[in-house]
Amino acid sequence: MFEILKNKGRIEGIAKVTGKAKYSAEYALPNLAHGVIVGSTIPSGFITNINIEEAKQVPGVIDVLSYWNKPEVSTFDNPEKSKKIPAFHKYFHTTKINYSDQPVALVLADTLEDASYAATLLKIDYKTEDFNVNFHESLKDLELKPFKAERGNLEAWQNADYISENEYTIAMEVHNPMEMHATIAHWTAENKLSLYDKSQGVNGVQWNLGRFFDLPEENITVNSEFVGGGFGSGLMTWFNTVAASLGAKLIERPVKVGLTRPQMFTMVGYRPTSWQKVKIGANKDEKLLGVLHHAAHNQSKYNVYSRDLSGITSKVYAFENVKRFTGYSPLNLPIPTWMRGPGDSSGTFAVESAIDELCYKMNADPVDIRLNNIAPYSMDSGKPWSTHYLNECLERGAKEIGWDDRPNQPKQLKDGDWYTGYGVGVGLWNASRRNAGASIEMKRDGNIIVRTAMTDIGTGTGQAIVNMTHEFLGIPREKISIELGNSIHPKSVTQGGSWGLSSLSGAVDAASTALKRKLADYAWGKSEVTKLDAVILSDSGVAFINDQKKSVSYQDIFQKYNLNEIYVEEYSNAGGEEEKYAFCSSAAHFYKVKVNVVTGKVKMDRMVIVVDGGKIINPQAAANQIIGAAVGGVGMAMREKQEVDLASGRLIGSDFAGYHVTVNADVPIIEVSFINKPDYNRNPAGAKGLGEVGLLGSAPAITNAIYNAIGKRFTNLPVTPDMIV
Amino acid sequence: MSHSKNENTFSRRFFIKTSSAFTALALVPHSIKAFYNDIKETYFTKKVVLPIYLKINGKDYNLNADSRTTLLDLLRENLNLTGTKKGCDHGQCGACTVHINGQRALSCLSLAAMMQGKEITTIEGLANGDNLHPMQEAFLEHDGYQCGYCTPGQIMSAVACVNEGHTKSIEEIKEYMSGNICRCGAYNGITNAIKSVAK
Ligand code: FES
Ligand code: FES
Repeated sequence: MFEILKNKGRIEGIAKVTGKAKYSAEYALPNLAHGVIVGSTIPSGFITNINIEEAKQVPGVIDVLSYWNKPEVSTFDNPEKSKKIPAFHKYFHTTKINYSDQPVALVLADTLEDASYAATLLKIDYKTEDFNVNFHESLKDLELKPFKAERGNLEAWQNADYISENEYTIAMEVHNPMEMHATIAHWTAENKLSLYDKSQGVNGVQWNLGRFFDLPEENITVNSEFVGGGFGSGLMTWFNTVAASLGAKLIERPVKVGLTRPQMFTMVGYRPTSWQKVKIGANKDEKLLGVLHHAAHNQSKYNVYSRDLSGITSKVYAFENVKRFTGYSPLNLPIPTWMRGPGDSSGTFAVESAIDELCYKMNADPVDIRLNNIAPYSMDSGKPWSTHYLNECLERGAKEIGWDDRPNQPKQLKDGDWYTGYGVGVGLWNASRRNAGASIEMKRDGNIIVRTAMTDIGTGTGQAIVNMTHEFLGIPREKISIELGNSIHPKSVTQGGSWGLSSLSGAVDAASTALKRKLADYAWGKSEVTKLDAVILSDSGVAFINDQKKSVSYQDIFQKYNLNEIYVEEYSNAGGEEEKYAFCSSAAHFYKVKVNVVTGKVKMDRMVIVVDGGKIINPQAAANQIIGAAVGGVGMAMREKQEVDLASGRLIGSDFAGYHVTVNADVPIIEVSFINKPDYNRNPAGAKGLGEVGLLGSAPAITNAIYNAIGKRFTNLPVTPDMIV
Repeated sequence: MSHSKNENTFSRRFFIKTSSAFTALALVPHSIKAFYNDIKETYFTKKVVLPIYLKINGKDYNLNADSRTTLLDLLRENLNLTGTKKGCDHGQCGACTVHINGQRALSCLSLAAMMQGKEITTIEGLANGDNLHPMQEAFLEHDGYQCGYCTPGQIMSAVACVNEGHTKSIEEIKEYMSGNICRCGAYNGITNAIKSVAK
């Protein structure tokens, strides 16, 4: 449980700044053994043998887990059940290799040093097969299929006054949260598994492991109280969790498996390499007429993930004609997965770039053209937007960055070798809401604990719960503490997809209402109070908002009914509102860059972001989240690129020296503001999600600004200095 | 000296040197192999446990440490001081930053065995009892974190950064804090927190 933070910051803040916060690898269990995963060195073929003799001679080594000695699991005796286990959980149940660094063994030892050293001594024999890791080559044979129904008619705009057409590529990007994925697995009884796991959703892990071991969910507990970042890498249940659990079973000791940074590149997903071709047309009145969008990304041979990049294309602007094609290339590469703004951030880069290109052709202002073409309702569903303030985001952002200073043509603002440019890009994301649960326990002294299984991956969920509970109940913040990220608490959707807070607010509201109901019944007798809105909880008791005299203290209630605690637990989900409305969050990114044409350096001079995320529950944390996403956008635009060695099929430079992420000096102090208008149709808090829109639109705002500065249009990300000069 | 002569001299010398080296190799392969095995035996295969004495957060420790153990793993795995974080184990991220004799240092690049007699301060030793260090207060105040995983390293670096006097401007702070990656991107809060303490 978090300490109650009286004065400032987030409820879990003190734990984080003092080093007391425990992340999944940091629980000291007695008799804990260490497991090191060994990956294949070939991208395709079979393991024929693993010689473990030398490894086993290393003092401290307990065993080496692999295909040849995996412990019995009843699931695999039953073909029906076994079939349901995804291939990427079965690496110790197959000899087939589909990508380089696919886990093949787990070396178990008393210490990390022993296990790491022994892991270098395995002698693995392979039978190799042909492989394909070349995405761009694979496109030649890839047949793209129509994506969703065509809107309008492609022919209608082929003779538009203005047309722009371009191809776009984005390199493979890897989440790389600072905390490396780790699992501690502990069989507390023959059929009871306790896990400390880095995950964005404990119930997902619980479900996956239950299925793997053919155990009821309640036999598995998952603790992810502190999660050191995710960005999507913690949405799936990965093999390290399975491996640790199997290892712990094999040696009958708790086992910790932590990935190394290079393994973070191959074992927990990434944003796949993508290719797109976008053609758009507009008429003389600056009306966008139509878009033709082709898109493809790589997959793994383990066909787990596909995501259409052009989903966004029909959402933001009022294109009357939309036609899309999509495709996926399964290659001998690790498994990609959702990464912040999955699909849409790639699609947005292409569309926002294409619009910018069009503006220069037609001599139009990029802000005006966006303002004039925002989809007035959800053209995908035909439903009205519940709330949608992208126009206000654009107007305010333009003002704040000083858009009027932007030259209409490139290369106008020059100071020695430095050129200045301005760019805009917008982002939009479905503001969805899913199932979530919360419980509240009240003690005699009026202190309450709010509990949920939902994780806090750094977004500030914990403090948001405090703020919302305070608002719903009236109980002072100092009396509210929370417990989250543990499967022993009420079930909740995985945190991701910008739906965390939106979903949770429903549950916290429902639990708060239930608590008020209970207290009102205790205080004034059943059904005495019909309107709970009139009831408020103070630090000492329950009262009517307009009649303090009627207040009854908690102490009296607990005494009278001989209670130790009052407990309520509620669940909520999206309801009928989705029949009536479409929901979205949005953001406008206005960036000013300075580009040095001799060194190729691009300096982010100013970054202004205005966001419509509904009501903002915790302004500081919300701004922080947007800033962080935009920092990711800078990486996407100019730094992040995972290289694949075409000759060996291996990833190369898989660490922070080979793969560059944005550091402190790469960005200015980023300026974020919110429209802050509630959307109560969405949920009781009026909040819409924030997680993705800080990234969506960020990369194209940068390349658009670079174009404005030096007149070079970049359509392949990342844009590195060698491409600038 | 003519150009050609110069070249000749070079090649001849090069030839003599390399050929003698090759001869030596061909003549005494066993000793080299033995030497290699010796090293392997002594330093890698066999676990060598060394007694060390060090001070961590003002407390004396007399320990036995595996010669391969880094200071980072000593803290995290052996002493359960998990406030110091592992973000790469390669000296590339700053998450493991501690103070060794008052200077910021990467504990993943420091072998425990080399810490003999040194004074280590980790994030757990920064506060004075319940009174947080001003830098910790500032990180709370400015929301200088999200997930919190890079935070101990950021704070240890930040304290050193102020002591080093590299906090004269936002730009300077950013430059001298760029060895600490924050993948959550909480750079506004981190920078503003340091600025508030520095002035
Ligand atoms: S863990 Fe030491 S620098 Fe990354
Ligand atoms: S706060 Fe998450 S990495 Fe910095």
